[in-house]
Amino acid sequence: MSNNGKRRRMSAAALEEHRWGLAFVLPPFVGFLAFMAFPIVFAFIASLTKWNGINNMLDNFIGLANYGKLLTDAKFWKVLGNTVIYMIGIPIGMILGLIIAVGMNRKIRGIKVLRTLYYIPVISSLVAVAILWMWVFNYDYGLLNSIIKALTGLHGPNWLGDEFWVKVSMIIFMVWKGLGTSIILYLSGLQGIPRDYYEAAKIDGATGWNLFRFITIPLVSPVTFYMLITGLIGGFQVFVEVLVMVPSGGLNNSAMTVVFYLYQKAFESRQMGYASAMAFLLAIIIFIITAINFKGQDRWVKTID
Amino acid sequence: MKHKKALALLLALVMALGLFTACGSSSSDGATADGKKNLKVFLFLNDHEAPIYKGMIQKFQEAHADTIGNIDVQVTTRDEYDTTLTGMMTAGDLPDVFYVGPSALSQYVENGYIEDLTPYLAKMGVSTDGLMQEILNSYRYDGESAGSGDVYALPKDASVFAYAYNKDLFDKEGIPYPDPQDPYTYDEFVEVCKKFTKDTDNDGAIDQWGAGFANAFMLYQFIWSNGASFTSDDYKTITIDTPEFKEALQKYVDLTLVHQITPTVEQDASLGVYQRWLAGQEAFYACGTWDVAAFMDPETFPFNWDLCLYPTLSTGKSYTWLGTVGYCMSAKSPNKDEAAELIYYLSTDPDGQREVSGITTGNSIQIPNIIDLAEGEFKDAVAAGTLKYPSNVDVIFDYMNGTDYCAGRFEELNYTPNSEWHTIFFDGLDRVKNGSISVDDYIAEVQPQMQESLNEAWDSIS
Repeated sequence: MSNNGKRRRMSAAALEEHRWGLAFVLPPFVGFLAFMAFPIVFAFIASLTKWNGINNMLDNFIGLANYGKLLTDAKFWKVLGNTVIYMIGIPIGMILGLIIAVGMNRKIRGIKVLRTLYYIPVISSLVAVAILWMWVFNYDYGLLNSIIKALTGLHGPNWLGDEFWVKVSMIIFMVWKGLGTSIILYLSGLQGIPRDYYEAAKIDGATGWNLFRFITIPLVSPVTFYMLITGLIGGFQVFVEVLVMVPSGGLNNSAMTVVFYLYQKAFESRQMGYASAMAFLLAIIIFIITAINFKGQDRWVKTID
Repeated sequence: MKHKKALALLLALVMALGLFTACGSSSSDGATADGKKNLKVFLFLNDHEAPIYKGMIQKFQEAHADTIGNIDVQVTTRDEYDTTLTGMMTAGDLPDVFYVGPSALSQYVENGYIEDLTPYLAKMGVSTDGLMQEILNSYRYDGESAGSGDVYALPKDASVFAYAYNKDLFDKEGIPYPDPQDPYTYDEFVEVCKKFTKDTDNDGAIDQWGAGFANAFMLYQFIWSNGASFTSDDYKTITIDTPEFKEALQKYVDLTLVHQITPTVEQDASLGVYQRWLAGQEAFYACGTWDVAAFMDPETFPFNWDLCLYPTLSTGKSYTWLGTVGYCMSAKSPNKDEAAELIYYLSTDPDGQREVSGITTGNSIQIPNIIDLAEGEFKDAVAAGTLKYPSNVDVIFDYMNGTDYCAGRFEELNYTPNSEWHTIFFDGLDRVKNGSISVDDYIAEVQPQMQESLNEAWDSIS
């Protein structure tokens, strides 16, 4: 009897603890429901309708028609193409980041100042630096074209006004903006590589290039992988840079990205349903590419263990 | 210990519930405890306007202190307005008074968001005859088409996108000023502009032009003056392939390509045509009624200037576009009588109109809504010099009221469910302006896309 009584008290205490646990989990859970799950479900339902923000969403159910239309929407494919072209900046940023990180991974005077300088673009307001770069790229009065003119005597390209050069401009800007992050990440990766590996390789007669090629690059591959994943996901969502620097989306939509087009459809053309479908299609594309990346990582991502 | 636990539980509950109450309906707070009515107002205002309008609402509240408890005024920017309002509509939480433009009016009515003001105005025993009728009519809807029927909103303002010239440049070049009642023909305009277009500092590059044209705002004038239009009269069909339209567009791009009296597309990209006008590099540029205070300010525009008419094409009549935004009332407002009174007050109160039009302040950001005030005190103040306005102020009213040589109208996009078709046209127009594609080829390329977009737009509200 007494044993039973004790057990009952214990379970009551456990139960109470359980309840308290739930009580504390409740706020974030409700937050998740309200701010994540609900909008996702809402957007999915919206994507099946002709909702324009004014009419009744559920009265205008059209099934998968928005998705069908998207697949034949030439502008969607064009802006998706632009978005993918911008991703050329991801490997460029990685290579530059790794080179600079290797250079900085040593004890020299003023290294902290140097590291800080490279990180400033990352902590600066995206809008502010985008406006700054608009002036760098200005056709007549810009820094870049002034340098080109001083060096070659020729007038530089119409950076933001030309269908080809606007993409180059955006890539340059995004690489510059993201460089600080790649450097910091690669620095931490480099500092995690044990010195003995290099010493052992040197004893075996390895040269500087070989050390870099066969020790450094493989052992920072987890960092490279992380940057590839986040770079691709972020790359598909590029929006603010373009909106600020080329508010029209560029001549013939040459600078427009998927999210820019999505924004136009939702808030300028008031086709919320269509825009929601685009958001879902974009999410699916990102999901598939991320999944492929994770599947493929075994082939090239090495860890120290 | 027990207390602490109870407190923690309470906190958790409050946090959880807070999430819901934040999005909950607020129509229940339509009245204060002592039975006074509360109103919610949602507007976009620029920095000049905000203090003036807030002051007006404050005065209204004080004058109705016995019936009105609190007026909650939310102000946002033009860019944010539509997005926020859409959110409010979706949440079923519209303010009592907000803006609507002629373009959205019929959709708002059809979907039951806004209330017919006509019976409320009748109940108040007030008349709208004193308002500018052209503008007021854009807020009428008869269930079929806009322009006639009951009134669903009263104008906050009426604007005109007039033309302007830099007097100092005319003096410098010794050219007679344009006649504010006799617009230039296209050829005359080109001839005058050629005299201004030159390299003033002899560095080999043109640095002064006859005019500058911002496509999306200044092509309409040419199209309409040539008797063409972007759409058919029912706003369902894109009509940019008519000979009149093509001719007007050709003449518009010829100003840049053939006559070269405007900055090139590249020059426009370096420094916009608006900035070049402010810098005194262009003899002609546009002036909206909202620009007047800024252009009269020597800090912004250190030149003498005046208003004039856009050049004409085949119709011989000068055209420009009008703009307006109006106050409407939520169909679900619990305090419709009070909301209607506030709307009537904001739209027609003479003191308020004196302030925003600059009769009392000296700086004009809009013209008065009331005809008598506009024709009387407003023009008197301009003539007396107490209101900073260029002397050809009649250009504004001529466009607004229409004469045999000029007229104002609303852009076609005001009557279509969205303006995407318009964006498609203007997105690539610089390719025509820089000569990389011909007018015919461009129209052949964009017309099907525009028509498809317009079809979708109409389809989206059917």
